[in-house]
Amino acid sequence: MNGGQKMSLSGTALKYFLLCATLIVFAGPLVWMLSTMMKTKMETYKIPPSLFPEQLTFEAFDRLFTVQPLMWKWIQNSFTISIFVALGAVISSSIVAYGFSRFATKYRDKLFPIVLLTLMIPPSIMMIPSYVLFAKLHWIDTWLPLIVPAWLGGAYYIFLFRQFFLTIPQELDEATYLDGGNRWTVYAKVIMPLSKPIIVTTIIFAFVNSWLDFLGPFLYIKNNEMFTLSVGLQLLIGQTSQDFPALAAGAFISIIPIGLLYFFAQRYIVEGVVLTGSKG
Amino acid sequence: MMKSLRKYDTLLFFLFIMPWIIGFITFFLIPFGTSVFYSFTDAKLPGAVEYEFVGLSNFIHMIDDPIFMKSLLNTMYFVVFGVPIVTAGMLVLALLLNFNVRGIALFRTFYYLPTLVPIVATVIIWRLVFNSEFGILNAGLSLLGMAKTDWIGGEHTIKPVIILLQVWISGSGVLIFLAALKNVPMHLYEAADIDGASRLRRFFSITLPMISPSILFVIIIQTMYNFQMFTEALLLSKGGPNYAAYTFVYNIYKSAFTDLKFSMAMSQSIFLFALIALVTFVLMKLSNRFVYYEGEK
Repeated sequence: MNGGQKMSLSGTALKYFLLCATLIVFAGPLVWMLSTMMKTKMETYKIPPSLFPEQLTFEAFDRLFTVQPLMWKWIQNSFTISIFVALGAVISSSIVAYGFSRFATKYRDKLFPIVLLTLMIPPSIMMIPSYVLFAKLHWIDTWLPLIVPAWLGGAYYIFLFRQFFLTIPQELDEATYLDGGNRWTVYAKVIMPLSKPIIVTTIIFAFVNSWLDFLGPFLYIKNNEMFTLSVGLQLLIGQTSQDFPALAAGAFISIIPIGLLYFFAQRYIVEGVVLTGSKG
Repeated sequence: MMKSLRKYDTLLFFLFIMPWIIGFITFFLIPFGTSVFYSFTDAKLPGAVEYEFVGLSNFIHMIDDPIFMKSLLNTMYFVVFGVPIVTAGMLVLALLLNFNVRGIALFRTFYYLPTLVPIVATVIIWRLVFNSEFGILNAGLSLLGMAKTDWIGGEHTIKPVIILLQVWISGSGVLIFLAALKNVPMHLYEAADIDGASRLRRFFSITLPMISPSILFVIIIQTMYNFQMFTEALLLSKGGPNYAAYTFVYNIYKSAFTDLKFSMAMSQSIFLFALIALVTFVLMKLSNRFVYYEGEK
């Protein structure tokens, strides 16, 4: 409390200093990626390296798509899979969550803890058993292992939807029944139209998680044409490990969709993380 | 409501949650059950027709493999050193991002960005930064007079590099801490100010106890994650050099897909599951003494 104005002024300066110093560590590698991506191949072999490109060039993108003509295909694959996953997550999880929030049966309170318990199962212990299952179903080298589970209710999203549904007053349900509505009309005409925020959160979250998934497509898809962008990039690292600008360009492309989503829908992503504690 | 209607309602309930039931049985119960079954056999490939029951042999013999022990020790390194470092890193970042200064929202946006980078892209970026010849890190360090270090190719540096990478993508934990910090009641700090408490004292006597449930939550999530460390090690250095980043799950992956010993891989998975369950349980029990829940007592 002593020192007054002057004290708090230098305090603010210190705060900005700390924030900026940390920002270099966190944004630095991304800036280095952007810088590398716009250099010529020769410039990246310079010692000491130049911080920024001497002449801006986008030829790395040309090389990237020439070395790996499947790049476009992989981008399309990733979009297709992520969109189907997001749709499935919203539809199936909201239906299941409606069951868990609006039916007063004794089974509800017995089964819901199991939903939450599955959140605690370490996914990697399911890696080999799931592979064996998908192999027996002849699902290897298809997108089914990535998409089908999303259409059968994800525990995170069921939890999110249920929490939200519980905040919608039951009186609205009753009024619909009086008007001759049934359980399904309540879900489709009352609950869902009131749940837009959580629907948006789930769509974004499921899309992002699917886009970020590496292990799933890496394990279940062997055919190059079926790859997602992530697995494709991993192949690219092996193919052209010394072409730094092309690799940086590939990394940049894989970031763009999520980056754009983040800048336009930051609020929803942040909410989702805080609510579920999961990675976005 | 009439009794018959209630019965009908129960039926409807099961109809609504049917997707989850099908998913739970198909993608959890069946694979998990088969996994337990096969872990007591010597089955080699998925769908093997010929196999024999070998009892606990898989569990006993997994310890014979020196690489198994190495992978277990490596994973313990990531749990014992990685979890505290990453959690502390998240907390420090959250405290920084909780500063009440102009433009803080912009800083928050940038700090969270690395968390949304696909892991393969993260690894590409880190290989560019940490490249021993052409990377920006060694170039910067050489200005300070330090010799070139082969970070990713070094047996002693690869694990710290991976932990650092975890801090870089720790945005989710930071957000959880940030939300917890915002929920600490202001009147506690005001009271402490009146008592003339120092900043350090305020942090240890108010902030830390008030956010301790979040700390426990983050530690548990991070512990579970680090026990399962795989993708980072696989992509960054293929588990090397000299098995320095060869983790437990990496070994499970190799047992199955390189050695084609699926039953062994399943035994190892179950071993890991038991280990994680045990450690999580101990953490929860221990935490009772340290974690403060508002409204308790």
